[in-house]
Amino acid sequence: MKHRHEIVLVLLLIALMVSVGWLMPTFVQSRSQLILSKHLWETAILAIGMTLIIITGGIDLSVGSAMGMCAVAFGICYQRTGSIALSSCVCIAVGTLGGATNGWLISRLRVHPLIITLATYAGFRGIAEGVSQGVSYSQFGDAFGRLAGEGPWFGLPIPAYIFIGLAVLTAIVLARTPVGRFIYAMGHNETAAKFSGVPVDGIKSWLYTISGLLAGVATLIYVSRFDSAKADVATGIELDVITAVVIGGTSILGGRGNIVGTCLGLLLIHETKLFVGRYYRVEELKSILVGLLLIGALLSQRLFVLKDRE
Amino acid sequence: MPDLQHDLLQRLFGRREYGLCLLILLVGAIVSFVDPHFLARDNLRDILVRSAPTAIVACGVMLVVVTGEIDISVGSLLGLLAAVMGIFVSVSQWNWPMWIGLPLTLMIGTGIGFSTGVLVTFGRVPSIIATLGLLTALRGTTTLIMRGENIDGLPDRLQSMTKYGIVGVPLSLWIATVVILFTAVLVKHTSLGRQLFALGSSNYSAEMIGLPSHKLKLFAFAYVGFLTAVATIVDVPRLPKIEAGIGSGFELLVVTCVVVGGVSISGGRGSLVGVLLAVVLLTMIRPVLTFLDVGESGEKWTKAIQGAFIILAVITDSLVSQRLKRVRAVGRSSTATIAEVK
Repeated sequence: MKHRHEIVLVLLLIALMVSVGWLMPTFVQSRSQLILSKHLWETAILAIGMTLIIITGGIDLSVGSAMGMCAVAFGICYQRTGSIALSSCVCIAVGTLGGATNGWLISRLRVHPLIITLATYAGFRGIAEGVSQGVSYSQFGDAFGRLAGEGPWFGLPIPAYIFIGLAVLTAIVLARTPVGRFIYAMGHNETAAKFSGVPVDGIKSWLYTISGLLAGVATLIYVSRFDSAKADVATGIELDVITAVVIGGTSILGGRGNIVGTCLGLLLIHETKLFVGRYYRVEELKSILVGLLLIGALLSQRLFVLKDRE
Repeated sequence: MPDLQHDLLQRLFGRREYGLCLLILLVGAIVSFVDPHFLARDNLRDILVRSAPTAIVACGVMLVVVTGEIDISVGSLLGLLAAVMGIFVSVSQWNWPMWIGLPLTLMIGTGIGFSTGVLVTFGRVPSIIATLGLLTALRGTTTLIMRGENIDGLPDRLQSMTKYGIVGVPLSLWIATVVILFTAVLVKHTSLGRQLFALGSSNYSAEMIGLPSHKLKLFAFAYVGFLTAVATIVDVPRLPKIEAGIGSGFELLVVTCVVVGGVSISGGRGSLVGVLLAVVLLTMIRPVLTFLDVGESGEKWTKAIQGAFIILAVITDSLVSQRLKRVRAVGRSSTATIAEVK
């Protein structure tokens, strides 16, 4: 069956929501779901870039740290100039630059993305800490605070529209354009793709740059939501992102995966985390759970799904 | 002629140890020129004591990286083991005797390392993802079992051993020496060590000639777990109390040391001496920043410097290997040398 993984995810999601609805009826109401969804969007936006990167067989561990760097850039720029528009541009530019650095190093040095993004994972956060010296910037005004607030239709928050737009665009690119084919081809066999004329290095650089750009966008939403920009924002978000992508059926070895799966994966860990946080009221359980979910998802992927194919 | 050039290049740059030595001496010289107190006995001793736990764990992680895998969970593992050890032996907690509590800590560490290995080998989960998951899960477990409180009141004997040690040398330095010697012998003079390297340089050929690749990797991961427990026992009691965030960022430091020390991230290559020199170099960052009198503001840059070091190491690696390849290609076209075959 072609969409077996997605069907399994939907069933899991339904099972989860039914059992949660039984335990906490208020939790599944659409109003509380909408209010709670505000925790989701930064992770969701980052997950789009991450899906593309993981399909090519790479990984980007630096997204959370890039967000730290963007937040600090935003805070400092706002403090100096007082202009939200300029600060937002700087924020996104810094993210893009960070991503481009990743992409350039990875495609130029031919080193596994793991090690480069591990370096920038430390490096970006370090730059954020060094430049800001631990200072927290806040009070960006009400107008900016509305960025993460409610949008015009269906009561969805504005970041949701950004995410949906990006997701649809990416899904189309992946499924219907040559670039999408190239991305899958690279994940299946990079050498073969290169000899078939796929611009492997170029696509890699672009994908990591996009991932950095998305980190900039995610930072704007995060900062708007908390009205605070600090070097330690979004620590550990890369784990949530990677977990969502992997649960969504994207193969960590590359070559397989899609945006629909990633959306389902996002929903699944979002609901699980929220439920655990609300029901047991122990924050630590969340991180244990996400860690175990990641390992569990990969374990089942490697042991069952891929074995079928071999 | 190209052969000679090849030789020279390999000697100068192919060996990471020389570069690191030079860098350490250079940094030391500059800093002691600014402030001669840098060379004071206490300060040098302090650097060594601080580098001991990193060196101990790096010995293990190096072996994991040599087999072509990676372990980025040691920071959280150290935190968890510190909490576990504190709960076992602390006077204010369960107050078990040390001869039960400490071996049990070692066993738990080894057990967790072993389980990571099982995930990676039999579970076929890529090691980076398995240990990334563990990094978070173990940290969560640590805060959970500490219930938001710090642990203090470790037995006096343990505290004084780790602080003042035996004949004036802290316990961690003794143990680090033993671990380093053991690992050096393991790497250089045992078939186990050779098999680990063989596995890393080509997983496929290693399995073809009948090496037990799963068992070897299991050993490497269990060794990391064991050494992390050792590092916890010899280093953590120095601190006034055990906090939930203890050891965070340690995994990054250790991996940085291994990469900067010249261990190839794709496996099969690396030297213990290089790793140890990198440990010293990276431990020096903080004291150096203090001595250069950049003060508080300087310490915040530590992570950025770590990241820069990894990238620098990777860049030199790639430059050297490209250069070597070119020289080698020229050499091959003029004379087929026996050295190549060897």
